[in-house]
Amino acid sequence: MTITATGLCAIRSGRTILHPTNVDIRPGERVGLVGASGSGKSTLGHALIDRLRAQGQRVAHVPQSPDEALDPLRSMAFHWREAEHALNLSPDPTRRQDLFAALHIEGSDLNKRPWGWSRGMQQRFVIAMALIGTPDLLVMDEPTSALDSVVAAGTMDLLDAYLSDRKTALLLITHDLGLAARRVNRLMVMEDGRIVEDAPTEQFLLAPVTQAAKSLCAHRNWLELPC
Amino acid sequence: MIQLIASLLLRAAVVLTGAALATFALLWHAPGDPALAIAIARYQAVVPAEVVDQVRTEAGLDAHFWTAFQAWVGPLLVGDFGQSSVTGRNVWPELVTMISYTLPLALAGLIIGLLTSVPLAYVATRRPGGWLDRCAVALASIGAAIPAYWLGLLLILLFAVQLGWLPAMGTRTPAHIILPALTLGLGVAASLTRILRSGILEARGQPFLPAFRRRGVANRDIERDHVAPHAAIPVVTVFGLELAFLLEGVVMVEVIFARPGLGSFLVSAIEARDFPKVQAVVVLTAVLFVTVNLLIDLIYRALDPRIGERDA
Repeated sequence: MTITATGLCAIRSGRTILHPTNVDIRPGERVGLVGASGSGKSTLGHALIDRLRAQGQRVAHVPQSPDEALDPLRSMAFHWREAEHALNLSPDPTRRQDLFAALHIEGSDLNKRPWGWSRGMQQRFVIAMALIGTPDLLVMDEPTSALDSVVAAGTMDLLDAYLSDRKTALLLITHDLGLAARRVNRLMVMEDGRIVEDAPTEQFLLAPVTQAAKSLCAHRNWLELPC
Repeated sequence: MIQLIASLLLRAAVVLTGAALATFALLWHAPGDPALAIAIARYQAVVPAEVVDQVRTEAGLDAHFWTAFQAWVGPLLVGDFGQSSVTGRNVWPELVTMISYTLPLALAGLIIGLLTSVPLAYVATRRPGGWLDRCAVALASIGAAIPAYWLGLLLILLFAVQLGWLPAMGTRTPAHIILPALTLGLGVAASLTRILRSGILEARGQPFLPAFRRRGVANRDIERDHVAPHAAIPVVTVFGLELAFLLEGVVMVEVIFARPGLGSFLVSAIEARDFPKVQAVVVLTAVLFVTVNLLIDLIYRALDPRIGERDA
């Protein structure tokens, strides 16, 4: 089932941050949402999640940093149980083991609180938690900007491998065109609260149309980057 | 863990020693003639100079400071609080009787404080800046500004004198505890409400909460499992201070409502310069304080283990 949301918009204290926007994503599709800081990428991501949730679709979210996803006073085990409970799923050790194995965090101490884990591990835990309910869409908001580039690339590789044979679509929000170009097959560019360009990745990179897309391509020697 | 408890206990011992020494020194060097005050309290009359001198010798007031301090602390270390300078009776049994009056009052005050402040803070923070919130903040500020003795008198005037609903003086019936407990409890409620309110607001602003909502966790569960523990931390922190407020309040309230208890015991002992009694109350209070703060330290670490990690 194609994921469709129409007329997404956001107005904060009288200023339009997101103009009415439609988003369509096919099952299993990988979409990158790029643009400069303040162009409305995260706002669109949040609006999309809230809308899809309201439409009864399964959508999961991975915020920028694990600090925005985990309560420092609660154990990892608590977070996991809570996430299962939120999806009305009964606790399933096998599912947990599979996800932990897929993201290479098996064998870690779940009784520790988040700060007892490294940040890379925390972020992979958050991604694993997002995948509990096999969502239709996984929205990742700058998922690797809190990690160093080697850990970030490793994490994205693990996620790619896990998603490769599944129908979960991916929306990757980032200002890093290098990261997006390697991971997605379609790119959307945002500028001033609007999607100004939407094209398959290769076409986008070879022939950017709008000024925003051109400057993004010009500012990034994307092929040199590890992720 | 053992190292932690040992260091906390060591800290407690230092505080207790300091409190004992400071109290003793303050009383010892207080102006006026303690022997005269004791003699007057003992015989309820003006007494000749030779009787005062006799009392001075009996009470050990003519000794050197350090000798007297040792004579007091020595037995105290094995749990002997000594004898009253006025009556000559042992201090400890009397102290126990007084605690049996004061403890229920303090607990009742604390419970009233908690039962008022928790719902009030919760209702106030439903809509921060709304009229309910403003009312709660105004009430809490007024409550914190009103001293216990004035509030006590107002309550007596209203409920005992004007309306005649509740008894004011003494301890004859269980109903006698209501007004003094209310006086104490409202003061506690005022300060707790403010701390809880700001604690809840701060906890609701934690950066990770939106992610929990997007994960589909119910609002009720977020409040219980994530907001409440974060809001509890400042409350636990100030609980030690709250206890000081409570003890200070108890002394006033007991005197106002003519109730027996540690407060009136302390006031009459100070008037009579009955050193062993005064010192007994102060040491007891210090022990209580140190114990509560020790417990708070441990609870704090259980709530937020990062605190222990930072110390290490």
